[in-house]
Amino acid sequence: MAQELIELEEEEFTSQLTAPVFRRILTLLKPHWKWVVGFLVTIMLTSVLDAYFTYLNKEIVDVGITLKDRSALIRIVWTYGIFQLLQAGFVFIFIYLAGVLGERVQYDLRKLLFNHLQDLSLSYYAQNAVGRLIARVTSDTGRVSELLTWGVVDTTWAIMNITTSVIFMAIINWKLALIVFTIIPVMVMIAIQFRKRILVEYRVTRRTNSKITGAFNENFQGVRVVKGLLREDENTKEFQQLTSTMYRSAYRAAWLSALFLPTVQIIAAVALGLIVGYGGTQITLGHMTIGGIMAFVSYLTFMMWPIQDLARVYAEMQHSIASAERIFKLADTPPEVHDRSDAIEAETLMGEIEFDHVDFYYEDRKPVLTDFSLKVKPGEMIALVGPTGGGKSTLVNLLCRFYEPREGVIRINGRDYMDYALASIHSRIGIVLQTPHLFSGSVRDNIRYGRLNASDEEIIEAAKIAGAHDFIVTLEKGYDQGVGEGGNLLSVGQKQLISLARAVLARPELFIMDEATSSVDTLTEALIQRGMEALMKGRTSFVIAHRLSTIRRANRIIVIENGKIAEQGTHAELLRQRGHYYRLYTQQFRHELETQYGLADAVGAKEEAPEEEAMAAD
Amino acid sequence: MTTIEPTLTFDFRKAIDENRLKGIWKMMVDYRVPYLAATASLAVSALAKTLTYYLLLRYFADDVLTQGKYIGNSLTQTFIWIGLGFVGLALVEGSFSYLSGRLAAYTAEGITRRLRDFLFDHIQRLSFSYHATTPTGDLIERVTSDVDALRRFFSEQGIGMGRIILLFVINFIAILNLNVRLGLVSVIVIPFMLLVSLWFFKKVTKRYEEYQAQEAILSTTLQENLTGVRVVKAFARQEYEKSKFEKDNWGKFLKGKLLLFMHSMFWPLSDIVLGLQMLFGFVYAATMAINGVISVGDYIAYVGLVVWLIWPIRNLGRIIVSASTGMVSYGRLMEIVRQAREPLFDGKVQPEGPVQGELVFEDVSFMYSDGKEDVLKNVSFTVKPGQAIALLGSTGSGKSSLVNLLPRFHEYTSGRILLDGVDLKDYSRSYLRKQIGIVEQEPFLFSRSIRENITYGVGREVSQEEVERAAKAAAIHDVILTFPDGYNTLVGEKGVTLSGGQKQRVTIARTLLKNPRILILDDSTSSVDTETEAEIRDALNELMENRTTFIIAHRIQSVMIADLILVLDKGEVIQMGTHEELVSQMDGMYLRIYDIQTRIDEELEMEISRVN
Repeated sequence: MAQELIELEEEEFTSQLTAPVFRRILTLLKPHWKWVVGFLVTIMLTSVLDAYFTYLNKEIVDVGITLKDRSALIRIVWTYGIFQLLQAGFVFIFIYLAGVLGERVQYDLRKLLFNHLQDLSLSYYAQNAVGRLIARVTSDTGRVSELLTWGVVDTTWAIMNITTSVIFMAIINWKLALIVFTIIPVMVMIAIQFRKRILVEYRVTRRTNSKITGAFNENFQGVRVVKGLLREDENTKEFQQLTSTMYRSAYRAAWLSALFLPTVQIIAAVALGLIVGYGGTQITLGHMTIGGIMAFVSYLTFMMWPIQDLARVYAEMQHSIASAERIFKLADTPPEVHDRSDAIEAETLMGEIEFDHVDFYYEDRKPVLTDFSLKVKPGEMIALVGPTGGGKSTLVNLLCRFYEPREGVIRINGRDYMDYALASIHSRIGIVLQTPHLFSGSVRDNIRYGRLNASDEEIIEAAKIAGAHDFIVTLEKGYDQGVGEGGNLLSVGQKQLISLARAVLARPELFIMDEATSSVDTLTEALIQRGMEALMKGRTSFVIAHRLSTIRRANRIIVIENGKIAEQGTHAELLRQRGHYYRLYTQQFRHELETQYGLADAVGAKEEAPEEEAMAAD
Repeated sequence: MTTIEPTLTFDFRKAIDENRLKGIWKMMVDYRVPYLAATASLAVSALAKTLTYYLLLRYFADDVLTQGKYIGNSLTQTFIWIGLGFVGLALVEGSFSYLSGRLAAYTAEGITRRLRDFLFDHIQRLSFSYHATTPTGDLIERVTSDVDALRRFFSEQGIGMGRIILLFVINFIAILNLNVRLGLVSVIVIPFMLLVSLWFFKKVTKRYEEYQAQEAILSTTLQENLTGVRVVKAFARQEYEKSKFEKDNWGKFLKGKLLLFMHSMFWPLSDIVLGLQMLFGFVYAATMAINGVISVGDYIAYVGLVVWLIWPIRNLGRIIVSASTGMVSYGRLMEIVRQAREPLFDGKVQPEGPVQGELVFEDVSFMYSDGKEDVLKNVSFTVKPGQAIALLGSTGSGKSSLVNLLPRFHEYTSGRILLDGVDLKDYSRSYLRKQIGIVEQEPFLFSRSIRENITYGVGREVSQEEVERAAKAAAIHDVILTFPDGYNTLVGEKGVTLSGGQKQRVTIARTLLKNPRILILDDSTSSVDTETEAEIRDALNELMENRTTFIIAHRIQSVMIADLILVLDKGEVIQMGTHEELVSQMDGMYLRIYDIQTRIDEELEMEISRVN
């Protein structure tokens, strides 16, 4: 839903064509210029032949029938037939070229955007909703490629068609052609006006439509409340207002469309009336033939379509250009976190890690970490605890160099970590997120994500270490079982086990884990604990900890509140202080024991949903 | 509270029919005349077009130009009349084509509007069990895509088919009138072409679906990549991701290429077939004209008419194929329409005032309509007005089912429930639901302003003071004032995000405003922190004042204050009494739970003292 709304909002924007944007749009066609030339030439030839056929029809009447010249008739028909075959060939070529080129341009743009998105920093993702980015890659690229291919095809065809028709008419009788020539701009103007008005209604329709879908959705999801509060009648009445708006704009759009062609046709008919009246006089004077009149009728009748096409392309063009601008804007955004030009390879992360007076805030400029200092010895296990929003996730984000400090330095092995190449840091980090993210594909694929060239044996080995093997083999297809979109066919605990195995396989030097807040069943829980333990052995690790067992195992517990270290020390030290940690601990202790003794189960307490942590905000 | 029945203009239950075409006809009540008029206008418009060629152009070529017959013997006058004729016929053609389009749109949009209204109204009145078993996504799909497919059936396919067929028939008749043999040789390939285009569009629809499926795959890859950006970055898998996307992206390019190849074969090939047919007609007609079988005017008229006979045929195949999706959608929508509603107002007794709130359960059992086992078994107990009853038991013990019986969300299968001495089933659902307030475990707010959420379902004008009083009592007033637009702040998607505790208090304010006699509280304080819990508890205590209250308890603290505690297990009441009574029942489940609670406290004590 949200996605749909965002997309709609953006559709409102239209842009006028400016030279730089136009030039840049054209450069998209540059690599495929042969194709462009190909379809332009064939569409032109097609269009010329269309006009020529009408001319041949005139010849059949004037030369064949009027003069009763059978041989001429046969000659004309042969020409007609041969050109028809030829035209079919052209049609084949231009549909194929333009269509495939459209697909190709979309392919190119999508590739460009996707690849660029991979390089962009987390800060960009924090500022742009995923729905919006998806719209950029899917629908915006579609609109631009549509403009570049079918838009160009329609425009070329329309202009060529009108031009050649006018030329042929001028050849037949230039005075009459002049009448046609003057009404064409009028027809085009009217057509554009119609199109614009129709487009306005379409926009209202689309916006209302998403509201209608929203109303349906809400009413289905909240049906219990609706029934409990007897809100049915009121809801229907409110809904009827939406459908009334929808009805009005959809109906208006439809009848405007229905009015559009007849209007243009009637203008053409006036021209036709003039031509027939005036042309008749010309015939009697010998300046015009019956076939000529017939040709004029045809030319005028079939001028509707090119005019309609021109109006449509013109109206839609403004949206396509807005799309193009958005695409270019994304493509031009530089990644915030990037390698320095003299970046060196980080040999190892197994060294001292130091936060030296680090300040950090996100784009909203609200301070998250202030003057934060911390030294961690290699192999140490650090448990981060504290309230949501205190700065734990930010600390991890900085550590992974998803973001860089605004002030202060983070040192690894005594060297500013911004001196290292990003890839060399990332390839040595293993991370398990609170809401584990898996990709569609098999269990095996997901574990292999940790090290792409790992053998199947190594994958099984990693799964065993992480404690995931036992449950995987109980799956119907074992390691080849599909996990569903985002892994949603598995439970949270299972997802976490797989992401642990993935991290094991990566053989990281620095291990980071954000424990899930929601409890999983006791067995899985034990497995996860064992897996974590195995992973942390001999590695420096940071755990955003919620489980007592994890917290107790840590070498050092750091309580983070309001962007600062509130307390730090070992479990016993902190408990004796009777401060923040004491409170957090007792609360969690109670909670865990309630679960352990089956109390929560006995009273049917619902598992609290894991609080989704926003990407940027802590 | 006055209930104003929403005015639904058509009951779609009347449009249920096994024969889908008949069913569609049935749902066209009130719109049959306009739609037929749309078709008739189409015919007039097509006729005007035909007459332009058949009468005017032919008369012009034959009578005026060839034979020199002038109207009133004046050349100028004749040409003026003919010119006017063109404009006049174009006006007729244009006006009726517009009229037809407008009437078709009137029908399509009108039927769609009342269909949407009906579905919205209908679905919210379906039984609870229907909603519990039907996924929201599926319903949404039907009320959006399927409704739209039906709309297009009326606005595009029905009228489009009519247009092509009418053009064919009228022009065919006109040509037959010119010359029968000429007419017959002009349509030789038409049946063949129709079959080919049907075959082609069926094929191409299938390919197109594959193409769309590939697009969906690509979207999934994209979405997973974007939402999993931290994983991608943490494992430095950018290149891997790029190649994965490349595979999907290229796959789609190839599927698109295939689709385009099909199109680029079909259109020119049918161009050739239809073009040659047309050319054949030209030669045939021209020869006839040379031989004097038909006149020059006939020939000119023929050339103009035959175009409308031949070219639209290709599109008929396309329209027929897409019309079949409209029929499928009709079937899918009728599956919803067919469902029985829950009667809201049927009831033997219609008391004037509110209930007292005395409840007696006598051997009540309940089983879901599709269930095999009783969810509640012979439950009996009595509640006096104003008392608080706590329900304790594991998930699936029947706590929720029990309270769901009160507003008649579900109907008990045996035994009786007496409310103020009257069988619950004798009250109408609407009356009961007015008397009962529910605070859900997971509060549901609507995406409207906070004020509208508080007044939701009150069913009368509420003053701002009253809203604020409720909000204050629910301990949410101060929080609301911190929001940018205060009470007018939008909730959700585009507005503020409320925490679980805040949402809970908004629903409590809502319930306070409703002022029910009986209250159902699905205790959910377990998921909020201690401070909020205290606030909610205060708000709840305020709410429980003088009301018969059912509390679904999730922790022992909330049970202790109750006048009556029911401990449920597998649908049976295994213990019943006050806290003091239950604690004294040795071997009881209640005491066990209570003991655990005490033990936890002791263990915590020990744990702390250990480090000291």
